[in-house]
Amino acid sequence: MVTMTASSEPASGFDPAYGWGAGEHVHEPLIQSTLLVTNPDLSIGMDLATEYSVSEDGLTWTVKIRDDVKFTDGEPLTASDVAFTYNNCKENSAVNDFTMLDYAEAVDDTTVEFHMTTPFSPWPYTMAITGIVPEHAYDENYGMNPIGSGRYILKQWDQGQQIILEANPDYYGKEIKMKRVTILFMDEEASLAAAMAGEADVSYTASTFAEMVPDGYSLMAVQSVDNRGFNLPAVPAQEVDGLTVGNDVLSDVAVRRAINIGIDREEMIENVLGGYGTLAYSVCDQMPWYNEASEVAYDPEGAKALLEEAGWIAGEDGIREKDGVRASFTIMYHPSDSVRQALAEETANQLKEIGLEVTTEAAGWDVAYDKAQSQPLMWGWGAHSPMELYNIYHTAPDSELAEYSPYANETVDRYMDEALASSDLEESYELWQKAQYDGTTGVTQDGDIPWVWLCNVDHLYFVRDGLNVAEQKIHPHGHGWSIVNNVDQWEWTE
Amino acid sequence: MRTWNRRKTMVFWTVFSLILLIAVAVAGSLCSEAARTTDFSRKNLMPCLQYPFGTDWMGRDMFARTLKGLSLSILIGTLAAVISACIALLLGIGAATLGKRADGLITWIIDLIMGIPHLLLLILICVAAGRGLKGVIIGVAFTHWTSLARLIRAEVLQLKESPYIRIAEKLGKSRWYIAKNHMMPHLVPQFVVGLVLMFPHAILHESSITFLGFGLTSEQPAIGIILAESMQYLVLGKWWLALFPGLALILVVVLFYLLGENLRRLIDPGSAHE
Repeated sequence: MVTMTASSEPASGFDPAYGWGAGEHVHEPLIQSTLLVTNPDLSIGMDLATEYSVSEDGLTWTVKIRDDVKFTDGEPLTASDVAFTYNNCKENSAVNDFTMLDYAEAVDDTTVEFHMTTPFSPWPYTMAITGIVPEHAYDENYGMNPIGSGRYILKQWDQGQQIILEANPDYYGKEIKMKRVTILFMDEEASLAAAMAGEADVSYTASTFAEMVPDGYSLMAVQSVDNRGFNLPAVPAQEVDGLTVGNDVLSDVAVRRAINIGIDREEMIENVLGGYGTLAYSVCDQMPWYNEASEVAYDPEGAKALLEEAGWIAGEDGIREKDGVRASFTIMYHPSDSVRQALAEETANQLKEIGLEVTTEAAGWDVAYDKAQSQPLMWGWGAHSPMELYNIYHTAPDSELAEYSPYANETVDRYMDEALASSDLEESYELWQKAQYDGTTGVTQDGDIPWVWLCNVDHLYFVRDGLNVAEQKIHPHGHGWSIVNNVDQWEWTE
Repeated sequence: MRTWNRRKTMVFWTVFSLILLIAVAVAGSLCSEAARTTDFSRKNLMPCLQYPFGTDWMGRDMFARTLKGLSLSILIGTLAAVISACIALLLGIGAATLGKRADGLITWIIDLIMGIPHLLLLILICVAAGRGLKGVIIGVAFTHWTSLARLIRAEVLQLKESPYIRIAEKLGKSRWYIAKNHMMPHLVPQFVVGLVLMFPHAILHESSITFLGFGLTSEQPAIGIILAESMQYLVLGKWWLALFPGLALILVVVLFYLLGENLRRLIDPGSAHE
């Protein structure tokens, strides 16, 4: 019995075309099989696929699949099901980006070809989260009563409360050790109460509750790339279609650099997360495509020197000014997220030390995206795919600036375009790293630093003594399904 | 004290509550800075001498936050109640003097607004007006005037038929003259008392919708925000986060009520001689 955040419940059912597994929060779909999987070290492993390759020009991916897999209704899983799934996702998926796929086609029963519109080297990561659905049993109600070939069968779904999964007896892969899994959707307090009452075996929790470990449970902290950071609009303020884009203080690269080294991340994690977190210097810490040049040391004196040098001189109240512009800005946070609020407040406290005036403001998602074009917003990111770098730093289509926060750097763009076009995933990692910093330019401290990253929030769980939850991958953003990615390998040791 | 008659006691309590409320409002606006300062080195402290109301999970001084929250509430309450009372006065007098059709229309509006659940309408108006301080003030102002408007309408209707107004009319005094010199003095007590008794409602409703997340935003130390935040920490045994701000809110509401009731007795001709 596992508890999860109420928002983890898939609103549109267990259909990959509507975000199951492959939505904002990525995880393994459990009920369906995927072509590939991500290993604990985030390299790519095989599930349905037996081998895969990509053509020289990066436009055709060929995947061979195993021939012994059956859906739980007894029908065999063939390449045409795979092709159907992807074509269906491309047509209907509103949540996920399948625009780089032109069409998928089944060459024979065990071979699928994906024809791309543009080369897209991180495609294996998409193949690792897209669950294969049966063509013969797919209709608009599929999400409600999914049939798959995965490790578990959806036995029961009480909407708003729980789902019950039972092991698939005909599963082709490793033996499933955990035969029955119940997942309860509830908020933090209810989750704590469930653990207190001894009802849940694994119950998620937050750092505020971390000291209240119930008897018979222990606290498990799973490392994550569920990072928190804020954007720094990197262009001067201007009006674009009635919307303010850019910020006159933060468009100065010296200010952005000073902020990056003026923040004591360790103290922040101690204060806000009770120590349950790791330092973050990029959106992709510890991922294979992470560039270690992102790392910086806390250096308040250096930060002050940077500001002085750039002409930001402290006024009477200790707040710096330059040419009549006061070094002052606002950080927004989501009103119902106390961790982001505390991070924003702590950032404000720390930046005051180096003479920057920071105020905080709550902003719901309805207005936050627009406002983030001109002022920092406390974000949460982190996924098992380098595409996140692209989403954050690459200029948006039909625009000269990146989508979430105004920024543009041709060199960074070019490296990422090259990385996408690369025909080898391993090779592309190096290009992703160069996009972050290539020795002269990038998005790190010595580059343009258009985003500042603070910490990765550990995902905390109360786990009943005697339950072994196996090796956990670094969790991505979203405190939900990641924990049960490997639920089939969990076992009771007592 | 023993030599005081009831009137004096009443005056004392009126002045006392007034001074206390003003003191809270002023003190609150003086500690805006302290109410927002976070200091993680002093988080989750129990109430003690230095922090009489304790501190929260970001090390904010709950005493300063409560004071600031109350003064915000009083400010919003005052503004909203004054606007509301003015609407009531205008529409009340309008209904009584502008003829049958106007009367029918205004009474219909009053019935309409009273017919919709109060809080629901308040949330609707507040959200439509863009939330935040502005939304709350507009929301509260536009939902609280109905009963006072009714009262004033009835009063004016009654006055219009009274002999001295009739005589004044026969003497050829202008309508304006009559309204200013004969009607107004009669309406002032009703109006003032109605206004003051609207405060507690306004304050409670401001806190309610903020608590529910439709009012002020969470960087502002409003009482509703404080209470909503404390909910999460109650289960951790941090009782002081909710108890003191909650009690303080009730205290302010009671003070306003006391003020209004005493005022009513003092200046309303009907009960002035009790």
